Amino acid sequence: MRMPTTLVLGLLASTVVAAQSNAIRPAPRTPDGRPDLTGVYQASTRRGGWDAEAPGDAPGVAAARRAPDVQAAGRPEPIPYRPEARARAEELLARRSADDPTTLCLPQASPRMTGVGLFPVQFVQTPTQVIALYEYFWVFRVIPLDRREHPDDVEPSHMGDSIGRWEGDTLVVDVTSFKPGGWLAAGFVHSDALHLVERYRRVDRDRLDYEVTIEDPNVLTKPYTQRITLMLREGTRLREYSCAENNLDPKVYEKLMANPTLFLRPGAR
Amino acid sequence: MLPCFLAAALVLALAGHATAHHSFGVAFDANKPVTLSGVVTRIDWRNPHSHVFVDVKGPDGKVVNWTFEGYPPNVLSRTGWKRDETVKVGDTIKAFGWLARDGSPFAHLREVTLANGQRLFFGPPAGTGEGAPLAAEPAAAPRP
Repeated sequence: MRMPTTLVLGLLASTVVAAQSNAIRPAPRTPDGRPDLTGVYQASTRRGGWDAEAPGDAPGVAAARRAPDVQAAGRPEPIPYRPEARARAEELLARRSADDPTTLCLPQASPRMTGVGLFPVQFVQTPTQVIALYEYFWVFRVIPLDRREHPDDVEPSHMGDSIGRWEGDTLVVDVTSFKPGGWLAAGFVHSDALHLVERYRRVDRDRLDYEVTIEDPNVLTKPYTQRITLMLREGTRLREYSCAENNLDPKVYEKLMANPTLFLRPGAR
Repeated sequence: MLPCFLAAALVLALAGHATAHHSFGVAFDANKPVTLSGVVTRIDWRNPHSHVFVDVKGPDGKVVNWTFEGYPPNVLSRTGWKRDETVKVGDTIKAFGWLARDGSPFAHLREVTLANGQRLFFGPPAGTGEGAPLAAEPAAAPRP
């Protein structure tokens, strides 16, 4: 069979593009030699969505290659809840997470904002600070790199107070001063004693590894570490997500609350 | 002793994707998938959820206006939707999703099939609100 020349050329070109996009490209560096985190990332490789296991089938910007499945590398440890926190989590899950504060459009601590996947995150790095911009709830964090201590006039907040420093090629961010009641995951409610130590490492141009150690002595018996892989999404831009614009859900929930048997898990108290 | 399924859910709470804006499982029933065809009467591209309103004729011939809920405009755009182009008022579409728990003509919309056969996601997969996704989708057509 004789193939048209254009088709042969097209096939060759697409093979070359595929090979290029799978190549590991080195992480960019700033003029002062630090790894440069600047870029737009998503915690999935799927175009538009968050299902890492499903390749994109729609326009949008896919990651250059699939993220390594860090969760599959080792079964994640169960959350080391204190007994009373475990009981609370069971109750909240039986209520199918109806009490999740994101229903009210409230921003949450960074592990959740970073790992949401559906919405991209943008980092902007300068020599003295890193700005993290979250499309999810359209919020941001300023992480100064030139402070050794948290300020002494910090008010507790949903996303806490962040200070960063470089440890070799890893950006280490210490986060404190949280309001109690935020959710780190379904049923995982933190107290005002939450303390996060985040580690950001741009492994290569396309991959940013995020590791966070979660300490909360009121909720956990020991620190808990979570790992998320963020993939660079060149060509993706952040767009406004004004969650409060037309948030009908609290009303829908209010109606359901009047008849909780409609949504409670069978067998729930 | 923690029931097995709950222990699994607690482990998966962090491994699986967290809910984006609200729990799927409160308002929708992942055990009640639904496929309906009808005529689009309105599309709201709004946050935190977009909605498509569709006139669906029931077996009794009565037309009911259904509300389908899905992604916010940002995500729809990245999923391939073009406002005022992909679907217009008056178009006939097929909608696949999951029914609301309260029995009203309201559903979570996962996928739309356009008149030309093109299929596009309109919302995320089903969840349970228990921290773990629940597979309740019919076998999907092969995707490129």
